[in-house]
Parts: sequence; C-alpha cells; structure tokens
Amino acid sequence: MTPGFSPRGGDRGGRGGFRGRGSFGDRGGGRGGFGDRGGRGGFRGRGGGGGFRSPSGEGGFRGRGGGRGTPRGRGGRGGFGAGRKVTVEPHRHEGVFICRGKEDALVTKNMVIGESVYGEKRMNVEEGETKIEYRAWNPFRSKLAAAILGGVDQIHIKPGSKVMYLGAASGTTVSHVSDIVGPEGLVYAVEFSHRSGRDLLNVAKKRTNIIPIIEDARHPHKYRMLVGMVDVIFADVAQPDQTRIVALNAHNFLKNGGHFVISIKANCIDSTAAPEAVFAAEVKKMGSENMKPQEQLTLEPYERDHAIVVGIYRPAPKNKK
Amino acid sequence: MAEQSSVPSDLYKHVYSFLLENKFTKAAQHFIKQAKVPPQDEKETAGLLDIFNFWVKSPEAKKRKALPIGPENSDSPSAKKAKTAESSSEESSSDDEEAAVAAKAAPTAAKAPRPAKSDSSSSDDSSDEEEAVAKKPAAAKAPVKTPVVSAVRKKDSSSSSESSEDEAKAPAAKRKAPAATPKVGKAAAVTPKAAAQKKTASSSSSEDSSSEDEAPTKTPVKPHGLVKTPPAKAAESSSDDSSSDEEEASPSNKTKSGAYRAVPPSAAAKTPAAKDSSSSDSSDDEEEEKKKKVPTKAVPVKTTPAKTVTPKASAAAKKAESSSESTDSSSEEEEAAKKPAAKATPAKATPAKATPAKATPAKATPAKATPAKATPAKATPAKATPAKATPAKATPAKATPAKATPAEDSDSSSEDEEEAKKPVVIRVKSTAVKITVTPAKEDSSSDSSSEEEEGSKTVKVAPATAAVTVAEVKEQGAKTVTVAGAKATVKVVEDGSSSSSSEDDEEGTVKVAPAKATPTVTRGKAAESSSDSDSSSEDEEEAKKPAAKVTPAKVTPAKVTPAKKSDPSSSDSDSSSEDETPAKPAAAAPKAPAKAATENSSDSESSSEDDEPSAKKATPASVAKPASKPATPVTKAAAAESSSDSDSSSEDDEPPAKKATTSSVPKSASKPAILVTKAAESSSDSDSSSDEDEAIANKATSKPATPVVTKSASKPATPVVTKSAPAKAAAESSSDSDSSDSEDQAAAAKKTTTKPAAKRPAVKTPAKAAESSSSEESSSEEEEASKKAVKPAATPKTNAAARPKAKEDSSSSDDSSDEEAAPKPAAVKAETPASAKKAAESSSDSSDSSDSEVETETAKTTPAKPALTNGKPATPKATTSAVKATKPTKAAESSSSEESSSEEEASKKAVKPTATPKTTPAARPKTTPAATPKTTPAARPKTTPAATPKTTPAARPKTKEASSSSDDSSSSSEEEEAAVKAPAAVTTPIANGTVNGKRKRDGEASEDEEELTTPKNKKAATTTTPQTFPKVSKKINVPFRRIREEEIDVDNRLADNSFDAKRGSDGDWGQRANDVLRFTKGKSFRHEKTKKKRGSYCGGAISQSVNSIKFDSD
Repeated sequence: MTPGFSPRGGDRGGRGGFRGRGSFGDRGGGRGGFGDRGGRGGFRGRGGGGGFRSPSGEGGFRGRGGGRGTPRGRGGRGGFGAGRKVTVEPHRHEGVFICRGKEDALVTKNMVIGESVYGEKRMNVEEGETKIEYRAWNPFRSKLAAAILGGVDQIHIKPGSKVMYLGAASGTTVSHVSDIVGPEGLVYAVEFSHRSGRDLLNVAKKRTNIIPIIEDARHPHKYRMLVGMVDVIFADVAQPDQTRIVALNAHNFLKNGGHFVISIKANCIDSTAAPEAVFAAEVKKMGSENMKPQEQLTLEPYERDHAIVVGIYRPAPKNKK
Repeated sequence: MAEQSSVPSDLYKHVYSFLLENKFTKAAQHFIKQAKVPPQDEKETAGLLDIFNFWVKSPEAKKRKALPIGPENSDSPSAKKAKTAESSSEESSSDDEEAAVAAKAAPTAAKAPRPAKSDSSSSDDSSDEEEAVAKKPAAAKAPVKTPVVSAVRKKDSSSSSESSEDEAKAPAAKRKAPAATPKVGKAAAVTPKAAAQKKTASSSSSEDSSSEDEAPTKTPVKPHGLVKTPPAKAAESSSDDSSSDEEEASPSNKTKSGAYRAVPPSAAAKTPAAKDSSSSDSSDDEEEEKKKKVPTKAVPVKTTPAKTVTPKASAAAKKAESSSESTDSSSEEEEAAKKPAAKATPAKATPAKATPAKATPAKATPAKATPAKATPAKATPAKATPAKATPAKATPAKATPAKATPAEDSDSSSEDEEEAKKPVVIRVKSTAVKITVTPAKEDSSSDSSSEEEEGSKTVKVAPATAAVTVAEVKEQGAKTVTVAGAKATVKVVEDGSSSSSSEDDEEGTVKVAPAKATPTVTRGKAAESSSDSDSSSEDEEEAKKPAAKVTPAKVTPAKVTPAKKSDPSSSDSDSSSEDETPAKPAAAAPKAPAKAATENSSDSESSSEDDEPSAKKATPASVAKPASKPATPVTKAAAAESSSDSDSSSEDDEPPAKKATTSSVPKSASKPAILVTKAAESSSDSDSSSDEDEAIANKATSKPATPVVTKSASKPATPVVTKSAPAKAAAESSSDSDSSDSEDQAAAAKKTTTKPAAKRPAVKTPAKAAESSSSEESSSEEEEASKKAVKPAATPKTNAAARPKAKEDSSSSDDSSDEEAAPKPAAVKAETPASAKKAAESSSDSSDSSDSEVETETAKTTPAKPALTNGKPATPKATTSAVKATKPTKAAESSSSEESSSEEEASKKAVKPTATPKTTPAARPKTTPAATPKTTPAARPKTTPAATPKTTPAARPKTKEASSSSDDSSSSSEEEEAAVKAPAAVTTPIANGTVNGKRKRDGEASEDEEELTTPKNKKAATTTTPQTFPKVSKKINVPFRRIREEEIDVDNRLADNSFDAKRGSDGDWGQRANDVLRFTKGKSFRHEKTKKKRGSYCGGAISQSVNSIKFDSD
C-alpha cells in the first residue's frame, strides 16, 4: 500500500480475490454472494490467519472490515477508506487533522501506533519512510470533537499545553486530547467513577502524558499535589454545579489567562428550563467566578441540548480589549 | 376484681371471649362450660365475684347477662386496662355480634346491640375509669354490665370494659363514664320520649351534676332541659351528661345513677346498680327502651342501621374517619353488623364531646363537628348517643377539669388516633383514651382540640396534632377509599350530633325514626344527610310531639349546668336547626329533595350560630382562636383539602394551643366537604363546631368555659324549649328553638353567666342565643342566598350598600325569618331583642358569614364548580328559607345582603369587594382577597389571598378577626377545593360563618352598631393574628428550580440552541445527522445516535469555519 491511505478497496479486492479463490476452491460457490465475508470465512476456514494479517499494517482496517462483517456494499463505502485516496490535512486547531476522502473525518495523530483506544478507526499514512497513524475522532462520542466540528473558534488545546480534563470518563476523549497535546503536553484526567476510572487507567498506561486522577473534581485539594498549573481546563462533568466545580479547579490549577472549555448539558442543570436559559444562567455564573466566557457554541446535532462555552480565566489586563 | 386472675383471664378472655361471644347470647352456662379450664374458671370466678357484686347491686340483672359479664369481668380483672380494653373490645364486639345476631332478628334487638356498643363504649369508659380509679366502681360496672347484658349485654360489657379502661386513665375516664351516663341518660331520654319520665331521668342524671331538677322537670318549658333535648338529644344529652359527668366526675356517677333510676323505671331490668352501672344501665335502659319502644325505636334503629350501613358502605372510610378508635369500635361494630353504626356514634359522640369539652361556647361548633360525627352514631341507634356520651365525657372531662386529665385523654386520644388504625393498640395504650378514641378519632381529635383549647396545650397538643394528622390521614384514606364513604363518615359525624339529637327526637317521637329512615335512604350515601334528614324528620316529629322536647330538655339541663352544656347546645342548635327545617312544612319538602342539604345547612347554621354566640361570648378568646384556626387550616388545607375544614377548625384550635385534635375535627369537616352539598353543610357544621370549640376553648381558657357552656347549652335548650312549647311546626320550632335557646341561654346564661358575665355574659348570651337562632335562620337564609347565590356578586354589592344596614337588616331579616319561620319568633325575638341587636347582628353575622360563604361559594360555583354545591345548599336553604321565612326572597336577599354586609361590616373581608367601601380598610383587603378567592375557582388561591389579607389584618384586632374569618374562608375555600366544590362551599360557608360571625363582631365593633358584641369581637380579633402566619406559609409552594427562566435574559444570538440556528449549518458535516436526529426522541434517538457513534456516519466535507457565538468582550 502506498502513500496515503491504502485504498481499502484494493486490499479487499485482492483479498477478495484471494479468498474468493480459496473459498471457492475449498467450499464451493455457495457463498459467492458474500464476497468479503465468504472470502474471509473461507480464508479462515483454511486456517490461514497469518496471510491475512501479513499483507500490511492495515490492522485498523482489518478491524473494521472484520468487525462489522457487513455486506459488501457497506464495506465499499464505509470508513475513511471509502475513497481510494485519502489525504490528511491539519485542522486549524493545532494537533487536529482532517482526513479527506470520500468522506471526511476528524482525526488525531495516534500517539500509540497500532492501538485503538475504544475501537475507533485508524488510518495509516505513510509519508516517505515514516508511518503515521491517525485515529478517527467521532463527534458523536466526544464533545470536544463535536465542538471542533461545530466550528468553535478556539479550544486552546494544542501540542505542548497542559490540560486538566474534568470528567475524563473512560478516557476516549482524553486519548485524543493526549494525541493533540502530544508528548510535550500533559493531561490531568480527573474522573470520580472507579468503573470508568479503570478504563482511564488503562488508557493512561499507554499514554505517558495522561495523569489519571480518580477523585472528585469538587475537591481539588485532594489531588493538588499531583497537579501543577495548567493552561486549559476542559470540563465535561454534567453536574448541576459544574460551573462551581470548574471554578474550584481553576482557582487551584488554572493559570491566570488560562482558558476553560466547558460543555454544558442543560438537562443536568435544570431539565425543566429552556436549554438556552440554562446556558445563559451558567454563563452568567461563570462571570462571577473570574471566568470570562468568550464564546458559546451549540453541540447540535451531535449532542442534544448541549452547548460548549469557551472562556478565559483571570484575563490579563492587556488581554482585555 | 382479682388482678391475679385478671391476667390469665385476659388471655382466656380473649380466647374465651370469642367463644363466649359466640355462645354469649345463649347463656352463662356456656361460660361456665368454657370455664371448665381451670384458669378460666378462676378467672370466671373472679369475674363471677365481681359479677355477683354487680348483680347484687343490680338485682334484676339477668344471670345470662351475668355470664357475659363474667367474661367481661374476667377481663376487667385482668385489670390491665390495655388487656381489658382489648378484651372488652373483643368481648363487646363479640357481645355486640352476638347481640346483633340474636337481637338482629328483631330490629330492636339489633338496635339494642348497637346501643350496647355505643353504650358499651361509654360504659366501658366508665367502667374502665371506675376500675382504674377504684375497682369498686368496676363492681358497680359489673352490675351495670349485667343490666346491659340483660338489655344489651354487649354494650354493657364493652362499656364496662371501656369504662374501666377509661377510669384507668382517671379523671378523663371518670368523665367518660359520666359521658356514658349521659348517654344512658340519652337512652333514658329516648325512653322518656316513649316515656317522658325516663328521659327526664336520664336528663336529670346528666343534669344532675348541673341541675337535676331541670332534667327531671323535663318540661319543655325548661329552657335547659328543653334546649338540650331538642338540639342533639342524643349527642346533647350525651354531651350534657358528659359535661355534667365531667364536672361532677363522681357526681356524674350519681347523676348516672339518677339516670339509672330514671331508666330503671323505664326498664326495670336496667337496674339501679352502681352509679357507674347507671351509665351502663342507661345504655341498657336505652336499649330496653329501644326494645320496648321497639316500634318507635325500631324505626330509629333501622335508621341507625341504615346509617350504619351507609357508614359501613363507606365502612372503611367511616371507620377511618371515626378515627382509629372509631375504627376499633367500628371494627367491633362491623363485627356485629350494627357495630358500624355504633362506631359511628361513638366517633360522633367523641367529637361532640370534644366540642363540648373544649369550650362550652365553642361547643356549638364542636357540637356541630361532633354532631356530624355523632349523627351517624345517633342515627345508628340511641346507642350512638351513649357512645357519644362517652366521648363527650372525655371531652368534657378535659374541658371542665383541668386539661391535665384531658391532656392525658387527649394524649391517649391522640395516640389512639395515631394508632387509630389499630384499634387494639389504641385500647391497649390508653384504655380510657382508647375508649374515647374508639368512639372516633374525631372525638379524640376533638378531645385533644378541646384540651388544647382549654388550655392544656401542653403535651396533649402534640399528640393531638399527631392524632389530627392521623385523623387527617385516615380521613384522606377514607376519602380515598370512598369519597362517598368519607362523606358518609363526615356526615355521620355531623349526623351523629344531629342524629343524636334526632335520635333523641326519635326516641321521643316514634315517628321520627321512620322519617329518618327515609331520609337516610334518600340521601343514601351521606349518613349525614340521612342523619340530618332523620334528625329533621325527628325534629319534625318532635316538633309535633313535645315529648321529643323532653329529651332535649334533659340534655339542656345537663348542658346548662355543666360548662359542657355548650356541646349539648351545639347539638341542640343542630337539632334546632334540624327541627326548624323539619318543622317547616315547606322545609320538609325541601328536605326531601335536599333534606340533607337543608338539614345540614340548618345544622351548619345552628353550628354557625352556636359558634357565633360562643364566639361572641368568648368574644376575644374565641376570636383569637378562630384566627388561629384559619392559619392552621391553611396548612392543613394544603395537606388535605377535605381536611381544610377540619384544618380550619384544627387551626383555630391549634393557634391557641396545638390543635392536632382540631385537625380531626376538620377532617370530619373535610369529609363533609367531600360529600359536598351535604358535606358542605356538615362541614360548615364541623367548621362551626371547630369555631365553637375554639370559642369554647377561648372561653374555657379565659375561664368562662362553664359560662359559655351554659350559654351554649342554654341556647340549645332554648330552642328546644321553644320547640316543646310550640311543638308546632318544625320551622317554628327551629326559630322557636332559637328563640327559646336564646331565652334559655339568657336564663341559663345569666345563671351560668357568672363566667360569661365577666365577658358580658348577659348580653352575649342572649345575643348569642339570638345569634344562634338567627344564625340558624341565617343559615336558612344563607341557603336561600346560596340559591340566589348565583348572585353573590350582586350580594356583595348589595352588601356594600346594605352593609351599614346589612347587619341590622340581616338581623331583622333573621328575625323576620325567625318570626316567619316560627310563630314563636316573638319570644325569640323578644329574647333576641333583649340581647339586642347584637344577637341579631350575631345572627346576621353568622348568617352573613354563612351567606358570605355561600356567596363566595356561589360565586365560585358560578364560575365553575359549585354550581352543584351551591345549588344543593341553595335549594335546601331556599326551601328552608322559604318554608321558614315567609320571605324567602327577603331572606335570600337579606341573607345575601346580610352576608355581604355582615362580611363587610364584620370582617370587612366582605365577600364583596364592593362592600369594602363600608368596611374598614383592613376589612377591604380581606374582602378583596376573599372576593378574589371567590371569583377564582380554586379555593386555594383564595386562601392565599385571604391569608394575605388576613396577615395584614392581623395587625388590627379586627383585622385579625377578619383575617381569621378570611382564614376560615380560605380554609373553607381550600376545603372546597379539596372537597367537592359543593362541600367546599358548605365548609366555606361555615368557616365564613364563623369567620363572619367573628367578622361581624369585628364589624359590629367597628360599626358600633352592637357595642356589646364589638368588644368581644375585638378580643377575638386580637387572638386571630397567630393564625395568619401559618396560612401565609402555606401559600407558598413553588417547585424547586435552579433556573428561573423569567429571571434570565438570553442573548438573542443564543436564544436558539438548535443546529439550524447555527451559522454555517447548511452543508455542514452534521447536517445529515441533524436531519435524522432532529425528529427522533427517546428510544429512537438513542438508537440513531448509537448508529452514529459506530462510525458509519458520513457527513461529507468538514469545514473549518468558525460558527461559534462570541460574547461581547470588553
């Protein structure tokens, strides 16, 4: 497979052909209808796993193809590889990329090659001699991705920045943030749930720039010894008092002039009030915590009744216009 | 009794008691056989000894009865009151059942059992008390029991056991015992009707404490006696008895004995046994009488059963309502088919008692409340009366004596109430209390309230509250179970009072019974209605037959003498009202259609009147209480609409002291409310009763309790007298009764006045009497008004104009109505006049209040609900008014105008905003709120407004009163809301009535029209303030919200969070997702989103444009 993403079709075709033959030979044409599948089955049936994998480093694709086992039609279309040719271009947000192909996808550069954190697709790009793997970033799974796709002006998360991530959950988005900040950056992932914290720990094991903190974000003093000053606080805590929680952490760890990115779920604040009113109320609240909101963006259609607010903490005088 | 044996005996008793019960009827031999078991034998022996003693005392006691008694005795020996109580209850129940079984065959017999039950309860109380106090009494009881056994074994046994328990509690128990006696007296009274002597005797017994002479005299002429008899003969008598008993405590026993004596004559079997036994004897006598009179009684009995049935139908509801105690009793009763009735009675009785006990003046109110409860009981049988008596006793005891005793009782009652649901438990806890409780939670509540009111706000209050709550809960439950049932219960209660009276009447007059039966049937659901109708019918019959009067007379004396008389008076008033309705031919017609309504209305009216009078008398105190009540009601109202009435009452009570008990009353009220039309009336009654109670409480507190009582008693008495004297038309009788009451009151009041005197007894009494009468009239008027009600708005206006005159007019109208209604008006008027315009005013006030309420209700109805309710009340009233007053229209108008005027004047709250002009500023606020409420369909809203106004008013004494009235109204409104509109309306009226009464007072004071009243009113007004606060608190009930949208201004750019509203949404990568997800919701949304998460989503090209909305930075 060559520069850019190896067209899937190509692989498949080859495989298919290969398999097809094999299968046919062995099993007969009963399955002709299911090109990929049949082929694969046949392949396996033969007991030859190695062949399949060996072809190339398309583990990711393999995962996709194999996992889904969907009809051929889909196979042809799905995934980034839909198009024969895929190109990756950087997004205006540093550290974020766009995989251009038949279907565009938001991707980040995988920090741990060959590993999928949550089953996301990976795309390998070989540029010259270096292989670069990108991981697809699904906006339906990540609010930060949704914000980026939605057109947020600034996320303030860029390579080398130190980020405090409140509400890290299982670490899916954290892994992408980890990708963005890169080896030079740090991600303090705070999650109070031990169950999801377990997954977070697993993610952190392979990503050295993630510092998992299984604590209640309401009590920053409990992990104050682990955290240094951060540049950005990203919060996705979905708690009624999330603004306060963010403020507490900001007071403790956010540098002056640092930024915060808060995802607000209206229903968590007040499910009876209009989302717009809830957002407005939250924004107003931030103002009283030395958190100056700068922009707001709806997360529709990726999330319902969500909005993301980006602001600055204790802006320097000069910063103020 | 040997305690040793007692314990085992208890156990055996329980086991054997059931066996015995089964065998019971057959013979003592069965017991012996059962006794075969050594333990049993021993116990039996012990029991036998006691029995023997009793038997010795009661020579004629039947051996068979003795056997049952033996078991009972054995129980009593158990000495453990709790055990005894249980055993007694069981026994009684068993007895009742047996009796019922046996007796049921014959209606009379059935009746007997019921009475027995009620009696038993009363007797039990007495016996318990006696036992507790001194076992000797127990022995006496045993004899009594024997008699009872003969007559109503079950009753006796139960009564004995209960009485013993009660005694254990001590004073309260004693009081109860007296109450029992009174009941007996009632029974006797009943008998007397059949045979005047008996009644007199009974009355005398009750009166004995107060004035036996009067009782003996029986004379219709005698205001007290007459009054008592007429009103709520049974209830009254019971209450009277209880009061007398309470006062006299031991004397009561004597009185009882007297009663017995009386009874014995009527029924030799009954025996002279011990005084305590007298109570039982009385019950026995009653039973006997019933039996003897079977024909007549049969009718009543039937009615009772019918009622009981109704209650039973509502059974659970009633029981619940009746109170856990009642439930217990009811359960027992239920066991014995007739038991329900008995239970109802007890419950009623209790309430009635409570009322009386609380405040003589207030009694009217309580009585009303009680009556409602009592009614059922009464309705049931004469027995109910006894039961009532018991409760009454408890109450009285509390009231009369120091609250301490009452407190205990109340506590026990409260406990009972709490336990209410658990009959056994209740009994166990406080036998005495239990007894009380047994009658009815309401009773307990009432008792507690009474206690609280009286002054012992202390511990009792808390329990009372608890009890109240329980009661409320129960009520609610009952309501939930069956609204009808609940209503029935409520009605029962009310009816109870009325019924008791009616019963007395019935007893007095055989005819009544049938009539009652009919009403009951007609009304069917509403026991009240039935009871009311019964009472009315009875009254009518009575009216025809002076004999009925006799009973009242007895009652009256009792009442008069003791402070507790007030209760009787209340009952009397009720009866009078009922009588009035019945008396009036026209009224009769109305009754048929809406007899319940009319009667209820009449009852309510009477109650209102009573309340008013009491309030007037109590004036300051009462006023204050009312005010407090309103506040409470508000809270309560919030809790339970139905309870709202009760709440109001409870609130009133509470304000002064903690009125958990009150709540119970309110509950009853609430129940009525549910019933709606009937309920409304009943509720009004209850409300009034509450008011009365409050007033009484106030009075009591103030000192005057006795005087007040006397007054109240006198009032009722008067009516009775009048009735007896005229014996003419019911209408007349009603009016007469009023007048007579007023006269009697005047007389009695004067006598009694001592205390009242301080307060301005003389004037007040008369005035009150007049008022009461007028109130009744006014009620009739109100009804008319209600009919016209639709015009409420108009009324207000009229009021505005009329107000100044309104009072006078109302009074005049009342007078006129009275006159018209009854030929005797002259007398009444004369008396009233004597009291002066105040009476008229008071009456007008009451009428006004009722009217105002009605109006409000009507107004409300007009908008939406109440049409029915109003319609009903209106109809009844209209009929009544028409019948009563030649000038229906006038009455209506006058009533309306009066109401408006009275409202305006008195409270200024005036139903009509228009009225305001006249009314003081303070008044206006109230009125406005009231008006608002009225206008507004929802009672609550009204309440709130009212509350607000009230609060404001609080500052001013008058205002306070007004506020109290407003509170009442609000409570009533709440009630209305809670309950069916109709009931609500009724309640409201009542509340209003009370309030109005107060208001009137206020208004009067302000207006200066009635100087005398004014002061009182003012005083009352002062008290009110506290109540306001609670109400206010109630008002606010806003759901918690973190985000108040109205307080947040959203940036226009951020006003729409949707995808489409976002910049660059067109052609965005997420557009397809938006197209899919936009219209999905719930599960499908989740499904679609999951699909998107899988990564199969293809959105096309990704743009890097900035679509966010920037906040304006500095």
